Amino acid sequence: MTLQQQIRSNRFRSGIVVLGFALLLLVIAGLIGLVLDLSLGVVALAIALVYGIFALVRSRSMIAGMTHAQPLAEKDLEPLRRLVENVAIGAGLPVTPEVRLVDDAAPNAFAAGLRPEKSYVGVTTGLLRAMPKRELEAVIAHEISHIRNRDTYLMTMATVFAGVIALIADIGFRSIAYGGRSRKAGGLVVVLAVVGFILAPYAALLLRMSLSRRREYLADAGAAEILNDPEAMALALRRLELDSTSIRYADASTAHLWVESPTDRVDSERRGVLALAGLFNTHPALADRIEALQEAGGFRLSEGLPADEPFAAELGLM
Amino acid sequence: MLWLWIVVGVVVVLAVVLTLGYNRLVRLRNEADTGWANIDVQLQRRADLIPNLVEAVRGYAAHERGVFDEVTKARAALQHAGTPGAAADANEGLTVALGRLFAVAEAYPDLKASENFLQLQEDLTDTEDKISAARRYYNSTVMHFNTAIQSIPWLLIARPLGFRDKEFFSAQGDTALPQVSFSPAT
Repeated sequence: MTLQQQIRSNRFRSGIVVLGFALLLLVIAGLIGLVLDLSLGVVALAIALVYGIFALVRSRSMIAGMTHAQPLAEKDLEPLRRLVENVAIGAGLPVTPEVRLVDDAAPNAFAAGLRPEKSYVGVTTGLLRAMPKRELEAVIAHEISHIRNRDTYLMTMATVFAGVIALIADIGFRSIAYGGRSRKAGGLVVVLAVVGFILAPYAALLLRMSLSRRREYLADAGAAEILNDPEAMALALRRLELDSTSIRYADASTAHLWVESPTDRVDSERRGVLALAGLFNTHPALADRIEALQEAGGFRLSEGLPADEPFAAELGLM
Repeated sequence: MLWLWIVVGVVVVLAVVLTLGYNRLVRLRNEADTGWANIDVQLQRRADLIPNLVEAVRGYAAHERGVFDEVTKARAALQHAGTPGAAADANEGLTVALGRLFAVAEAYPDLKASENFLQLQEDLTDTEDKISAARRYYNSTVMHFNTAIQSIPWLLIARPLGFRDKEFFSAQGDTALPQVSFSPAT
């Protein structure tokens, strides 16, 4: 499969996932309407819409707050800004995304923002201290691919959708459990509805995760294309794999944004409870991502990593 | 009447396929044009830096007239290059000429240490990095566009509709063309 085909098929699949969200939302509202009463279903949909729009409008600053990403001061870290600008030119982005710095020892990066012109790339100080220029470029190119492919848009939407579905399901479930007003339908429908309400949030979460996982492969491939250097991306992932520091401020709600999953421990605990191995990972295993790059690019990484000087040295940050 | 419906159906399907295909070609062409505009901006930026650089060196080494002429000529050639291929060649020529200029500058420690010269040198390096980034993007859009108009059935209708192969931004003897659609190892 060429990168172009991969990009196309990923776009197609994500379209289906978004459709799935819309359907799920309608089904839940419909169930509420059927089991309880019609007006409650309409109210739930309305609340969901308002909440969703509010969260979408606030998403940019919300994510910056959750990840503790700080805007760069005016003349600060000029080489970093230049590097991002060059990668953006290579990707054919019309506007260079803003760069934000997360003061954290763990090497990681993310992209956020609903529209490409208003997006920003967040990098941790740990990333600058760990990666030589070539690999840092690859990580930035990965984030810029997310922006170019509208992943940041889709992931922000998906996060909001998941929250919305959980909210409606919660309203519905509580109404059945404690209220139980005019029940027009029989017992079977009620049982089905309860099952639906309980499962819906998990379905939403699963959808959100699978969305992000496919897009990680796509962004890796995009980064390889932007730099015409698949090996750099694979090397960067290998370096992340060998690193064991974890992010301080990351939690389940922002996990899907980062280049490498920051919450492996949380994921494995969840997996134990639900016995759904692998289903709740926000990211595919780094080894799988490296393998995909090696296969597409037709190369093999040798043992060990290049001992080049990290980019932070150039920035005077060491 | 069945045959009539079949004919109508075929015509409708053909029209839809043609419309979608045509729009795709237009999109690919626009992407390549944008890619070229990106390179052009950076080439212009590079050319704009040259006069200041020449002046800076002239202040210390006025007698090196041959080198200055060469750089100025190379700059003019870059500004008048008509096609991507010619621009790439001219850009290459400018790099060679600038190499001479910097070799001259080597002999003047005061010049090399001057704030102005250092700044110009840094801007020049940055512009060169940007040219190579813009070039990667442009060449990959050209490859997608050319592949599209060279494949069946677009091969047959692209020319009459005014789509022509685009030229890569690569100097003669340059082998680093894009390998965007690299095939799997197996």
